[in-house]
Amino acid sequence: MEQPRTDEDQQLVARTQDGNAGAFDQLVVKYTPRLYGLVYNMTSNHEDTNDLLQDIFSKAYKSIRGFRGKSSFYTWIHSIAVNMTLNFLKKRGRRFHLSLDDVDASIQNDKEFLEVTQTSSPVREADLSELQRRLNEAMMKLSDEHRAVVTMFHIQGMPHAEISKILNVSEGTVRSRLFYANRQLQNYLDEFRKNPVT
Amino acid sequence: MDEFDNNEIGRLLRLKRYEQPPPGYFENFLHEFHRRQRDELLRQPLWKIALGRAQEFMMSLNVARIASYPVAVTAVLLCAAVISLKVYQTTPAPNVARLSPAVPVQQAATEGGWSLASPVSTRITVSQPRTHLSTHRTATPPRYVLDSMPVSYESSLRF
Repeated sequence: MEQPRTDEDQQLVARTQDGNAGAFDQLVVKYTPRLYGLVYNMTSNHEDTNDLLQDIFSKAYKSIRGFRGKSSFYTWIHSIAVNMTLNFLKKRGRRFHLSLDDVDASIQNDKEFLEVTQTSSPVREADLSELQRRLNEAMMKLSDEHRAVVTMFHIQGMPHAEISKILNVSEGTVRSRLFYANRQLQNYLDEFRKNPVT
Repeated sequence: MDEFDNNEIGRLLRLKRYEQPPPGYFENFLHEFHRRQRDELLRQPLWKIALGRAQEFMMSLNVARIASYPVAVTAVLLCAAVISLKVYQTTPAPNVARLSPAVPVQQAATEGGWSLASPVSTRITVSQPRTHLSTHRTATPPRYVLDSMPVSYESSLRF
């Protein structure tokens, strides 16, 4: 995924800091889809995602006067989103239920989807909803921190450097967490490989 | 041998991008955000809202250094004091009642019914002490004069 232009964000932030609430509205509209994907894939629950997104933007609006531009707005808002989601997940603990969004029909045209379903792979014959369920179950078995890294790298397409800034850890830590998470997912999905069709 | 490797896992996970919220969700999100902001604001006590507004005003003047809580609180208290003073001062001064002899309500009633809409041409003399007049100021009707000289020319009248 491409990173939004920082100069446009800087102008919107400056205008927001000057008291232009409409400028912040533009930032909300711009970042809602992206942050939704981040939070949803960390929580696997649409309702929790909606509440968290409201809180994230509310906090961002209240804190924006203190934003000095040392990092990009992109990094800043993602840091807020990840930290608030991790705090929420710690409080939620194991008491959760999956509330998954529907898969958009445009997936049928996705090149990678076609490759995955057409090549000789465990998922070739799998039902899409079953695949979605297994994947989300496997994701929820990861720790919150590992799931965050997997979400940002594989799903959001962020580079290691950007993830390290958002999480405020070294790139080496990001890479090791990714390696461990991938291993875990392979193990969890191994059962799916053995029983691909339900 | 079919098994998941890192590339396969990556591809499967990238497909999760297609898990989307219901149609119209993103279009309605901003509206919902505004609604929640308003609800949150209304839940706050009035003094906190006033304090926040005072702070925002100070920040907008680019005086971030002095836009601190003590300054904001002082500003709010000053505003409240000014408003209170104005409210106190809008109560009419007793000079009108003192300088323009007027009659208590009871005596006016015996004269046969006055109303502000219809000026009554009767000169009324004061029969009450001045101190007593001030307490009946609100109930005392204006004085009207039957004499040829118009009321407005009377030097004793003060409005």
